[in-house]
Order: sequence, then structure tokens, then C-alpha cells
Amino acid sequence: MAALIEARGLTKTYRLGQVDVQALRGADVDVARGEFVAIIGPSGSGKSTLMHLLGCLDTPTAGRYVLDGEEVGGLHGKRLAAVRNRKVGFVFQTFNLMPRLSIEENVALPLKYRGGIARRERRARAVAGLEALGLGHRIGHRPEELSGGERQRVAIARALVGGPAILMADEPTGNLDSKAGAEVMRTFEALHAAGNTVILVTHDPNVAARAERTIEMADGRIVA
Amino acid sequence: MAEAPGRIAILLELVGDAVREILAHPLRSLLTLSGIVFGAASLVSMTSIAVGMQAMAYRDLESIGFPRSLRVRDQGPRGDATRAADLRHPGLRIADAEALGAMPGVASAMPNIWGTDQVIVGPAGRRIAPVEGVAAGYLTVRNNRVIAGRDLGPLDISNVSRVVVLGEAVVADLFGTAPPVGRTLTIGGTRFTVIGVVAEQVYEMAPIDNSWITRRMYVPWTWAQRYFREPGRIDQVLVTARPEADLGDVIRRAELLVRQRHGGAEDYRLINEAAEVRANLAMADQVLGGWNAVMYAISIITILVGGIGLFSVLLISVRERVREIGIMKALGADEGDIRRLFMTESLTLAVVGAVVGVAAGAGLIVLTKWIGTQFGRQFEIPLHWPGAVFAIGFAIAVGVLFGWYPARRAAGLDPVEAING
Ligand SMILES: Nc1ncnc2c1ncn2[C@@H]1O[C@H](COP(=O)(O)OP(=O)(O)OP(=O)(O)O)[C@@H](O)[C@H]1O
Ligand SMILES: [Mg+2]
Repeated sequence: MAALIEARGLTKTYRLGQVDVQALRGADVDVARGEFVAIIGPSGSGKSTLMHLLGCLDTPTAGRYVLDGEEVGGLHGKRLAAVRNRKVGFVFQTFNLMPRLSIEENVALPLKYRGGIARRERRARAVAGLEALGLGHRIGHRPEELSGGERQRVAIARALVGGPAILMADEPTGNLDSKAGAEVMRTFEALHAAGNTVILVTHDPNVAARAERTIEMADGRIVA
Repeated sequence: MAEAPGRIAILLELVGDAVREILAHPLRSLLTLSGIVFGAASLVSMTSIAVGMQAMAYRDLESIGFPRSLRVRDQGPRGDATRAADLRHPGLRIADAEALGAMPGVASAMPNIWGTDQVIVGPAGRRIAPVEGVAAGYLTVRNNRVIAGRDLGPLDISNVSRVVVLGEAVVADLFGTAPPVGRTLTIGGTRFTVIGVVAEQVYEMAPIDNSWITRRMYVPWTWAQRYFREPGRIDQVLVTARPEADLGDVIRRAELLVRQRHGGAEDYRLINEAAEVRANLAMADQVLGGWNAVMYAISIITILVGGIGLFSVLLISVRERVREIGIMKALGADEGDIRRLFMTESLTLAVVGAVVGVAAGAGLIVLTKWIGTQFGRQFEIPLHWPGAVFAIGFAIAVGVLFGWYPARRAAGLDPVEAING
């Protein structure tokens, strides 16, 4: 299968005052199209840092990164934002929905930043995305009116609405009780089954067990 | 793919989002706006009032003064006259008036005989009042109001008729409540027929008391000349230029003519009313121009202070929405998207403030007019558009100026840091 992600020697160094914190010390990552990968490792091992780099939310201090055939390791600003918008769907632990917007407005946001899509069209695609995840009955509601599991599924719909090459999630079940967490995991599995590439970070061995492959991290390095 | 939205649709959406954000914090937005509202309101109302008053003062000054007139006044032979010229030519004469009236470019040259106090006896009583000799149409030309009967006409003058126009204030003493026109009275024992009653012009702006006009009697100057003065002598000529004539030229020729006729005698004085009116208008211009400059300065400062309020509120808004900004960036919003968001918010606040301020200024104008009517004055105060346009334009500039830094700051946030706080 064609490689979707090909990262070599990804390094991220944070500068805290006079001290350099090496959050990532040269990670090589390959992910094929259609894979379901789980990243595990102890707290502080650099999982989120790696995800942010792979999700184009941040730029590496060193290393090469090719996403979907495009060299993105050196991109900044507007061009990095465009890659983020088109190729990546990112789901956060804390949902990160806009509290003042309705859920369909939340889901439509990536299309708004893509530009050139009429409001009505954006809304229609957002509604379709919500319905596909079984949230049709919640349209018109604000995030605060939804349960945690529903909110995270709204966030997943938002990550998917732009038709990204990859769906990434950083501890998507971390803020959910086990029942809601299981529901969210079923959603990821269904999306994977439908052909989507999924990478997620988790602390939960049960969650990791459902992935096809696990990447284990420790101290800023990939150890397995 | 569906059709792309047009520029207007994009702009409307940006403004719609900004309005939504503004309405989410109504009180804060209101406080932000207040400076700009006050600045715009004071600018519009005060410049409108100043310009309106200026126009009214102009009209007053133009009707009090006579922008196309020159007065030649008799000085009499000087008491210590020793020069031959002064002795030979004692004072202003009818012939001077006739010569001035015959000059090209002159519409009229009206002789005047100064009022002298006389005993006036009417059917209902008597009083002492000055009697002035005037030319046909003089009272009307001087902007007084003939409120009953008529003004003196050419035939009254040429026939030396014993007719009189009464000042409004003397009517009651002489005739009681009866209408005086057509009835008779005596001036120094001579019987006169009343042909009209005259009242003074009331001015809106100029602090001028013209009521003395209503305490006099006006008779044909030809009669007054014979009765009060030596043969041929008059007290004043009012020369008025034709509308199409070059005023400066007429004045120069009139001066030259009088000087030549008087052969060097200093027994007259020229009063250039046109120049006086111009000087008064220039003074009014200067005073009101200064007032407007002060109002513009105060409003600029007020709007700038409003801009500083806008600035701090936008910074607060950026700080409050750091996380939201991070989410937007994570979803693919670029720096331009975020900058536009805050610039639109800044400009919307500024423009709404300015428009509300202009409306409030228009309200203040209406209020001023209303207060005027309570005091029996009719103020004409049209909205001063340059002031309104300036207020809105300046508010836009302030919106850009003070929105720029907060917008840039928001746009420059790092998505991961912004989301994690
Ligand atoms: N912005 C930052 N500035 C400084 N140090 C940072 C920053 N972000 C992360 N780090 C550090 O980098 C290291 C890796 O952090 P990271 O968040 O990637 O770990 P993680 O594996 O996601 O941990 P967790 O399981 O707790 O989420 C940690 O030591 C962390 O303190
Ligand atoms: Mg983490």
C-alpha cells in the first residue's frame, strides 16, 4: 500500500528559559493508507508532540515529513494552514468545540476556512456529516446541550467534513466515561472499516488493542 | 462543486460574525462605542449648529448692512474753517445726490434729512418724536416692514406731499387703538396724512436693537429739506450700485465725483457700507471657523479616546478567545482569516459607533431647534454633511489603526499553545 505518512528523524525541542526540553528526539514514522495505528507510551514521552507535528499543527525543529506525497516539514503560515485544512482531521481530548456556535456551525468550520464554498453548501455538508454519525437529531443544538460522547462525535464529524487524508485523535476517550468512550471507539472503528486512515494516541490498553498496529514511545523516542 | 460565494457574500458573513460577537457582549460593546458615539455626535451637532448659525448670521448681516451701498454724509463747514475751499463749498447738496444718481452703474442715490424732534399732535394725544426726511422706497430698501398702508412713493417726493409713515411705537400715543392710515395729525402745526405704519426687522442672530426705527416719523425728504435745512443742503446720500455693476468701480467713481464737486473741501464723509459688511462677515467667518476648528479638535480627541477603548476591548477579546483562535487555526484558518475576523470586529464597532453618533448628533440638532421654538426663535440648522462624513471616515481610520495590533496579535498565535493555554 502507498505510504501516506513518511517521517524521518522528527525532532522537537522546546526552549524553556535557558533549558532546552527535547520533547521528540528523532522519530521515524510510516503510516500506510487505510491503516489504524495507536500510539502509546507513558506521560511525557512525546506522544502529543508527535501528533501535533504529524497533524501539521506545529513545525519540527529538525527532520523530514512527507504527508500524502507532499513535503510539509518546512512549511509555515498560510501554506501549512492550507495543508492542515485539507489533509488533516484532528480530534482533541477536550473536544474543542466553539461554545457559541451550533453543532452544525462547528462542523462546517473547516469548510469556511477552506474558502470558496457557499454558506448553504457548507451547512448541507455539515448536516450530512452529523447525520452519518447518528447526530441528526441534535442539529440546531449548542455543544453544552450535548453529552460528552456526543460532543466528541461532533468533533469527529468536524474532523471529517473536509475529506481529509488522515484522521488523527489525541486521547479522544480521555475525557469520557467508559460507555461513552466505547461508543467513540466504535465510531473510529467504523470509519476505519470504511477506508479511513486513523492514528490515535491512547493510555488505555483496551483502546490500543483495537488498532491494527501500535507505536510505543518513551522519552521522546519510538521504542517499538 | 457548487458555485463560489461572491465578495459581497463573504463580506456579509464576516460582518455577520462580527455583529454576533459584538452582541455576545452587549454591555462591553456599548462602553467601547461610547467614546466614538460621543465624538461623532458632538462633531455633527456642533458643526451643524455652528454652520447653521453662521448662515443665519450671514443673512442678518447682509440685511442689516448693505453690501452694495456707499453713504456720503454731510460734515458741514468746519467750525474753524479758514481754507478757501472749505468756505466756498459748505456741505452736501441736492446737486451732489443728483450727480451721483446720474452716474453709470448706480441704481439709486437717496437723499436723507436727519430726524429732528417735533411736537406731533394726533386725535388721541400728542408726543415728541424725531421726524426724518427719506426718499421713495427708502424704508423698504432698508429692510423695514411696512405693516399697514404703504411706503413713500416717487409722487410723494416730487409733489412734496404732506404725508407721513409712522413708526409702529408712536401709533398708540397719537391714535389710540384706531387704525391710523388715512387719518391726519400735525407736525409742528402742519397737517399731514398718515399713509403707512413701519415696524423694524427682527434679527435671529445679530444682537441688534432696531426699535428706534419704530419711534420715528418718516416724511418726504423734499418736505423735510425745506422745513429743516438751508436751501440745497441735505444730510446724507445713500448710493446703491446696480446688481450688474462692479461695486469697487462704482465706489471709486462716486468718491472721485464727490471730491471733484467739493473742490478739496473736507465737508463730507464717505462710509463704505460694503466694506463694513464684508468686515463683519469676515469676522463672523473667523469666529465660527475658529469654533469649528475647536469642535473638530475636541471630536478628534474624543474619537481617539474611543479608539483607545476599542483597542483595549479588542485586546481583552483576543485574550478571552485565545483558545477559540487556536481551534480555528487547528481547523485550517490562516493568519489572514484571524486578522480579518478582528479587523472586521474593530471596524464594525467603529462604524456602528460613528453612525449611532451621527444619528445622536442629528437628534441634538432637532432638540436645539425645539429649544429655539420654546424661546420663539426659528433656527434653521441643516445637517452639516462634511462633519458627518468626517466623523464616519475618522472612525473607520480609528477602527483600522486600533484594530491592527490586536488583530495581528491574534493572527500570530501558535495553534498548539493557544489551545493548551
Ligand atoms: N510547549 C512546551 N514547552 C515546553 N515543554 C513542552 C511543551 N510541550 C510539551 N513539552 C514537554 O515535552 C515533553 C513531551 O510532552 P507531550 O505532551 O508530547 O507528552 P505526552 O506523551 O503527550 O504526555 P501525556 O500522556 O501526558 O499527554 C514533556 O516533557 C513536556 O513537558
Ligand atoms: Mg499528550
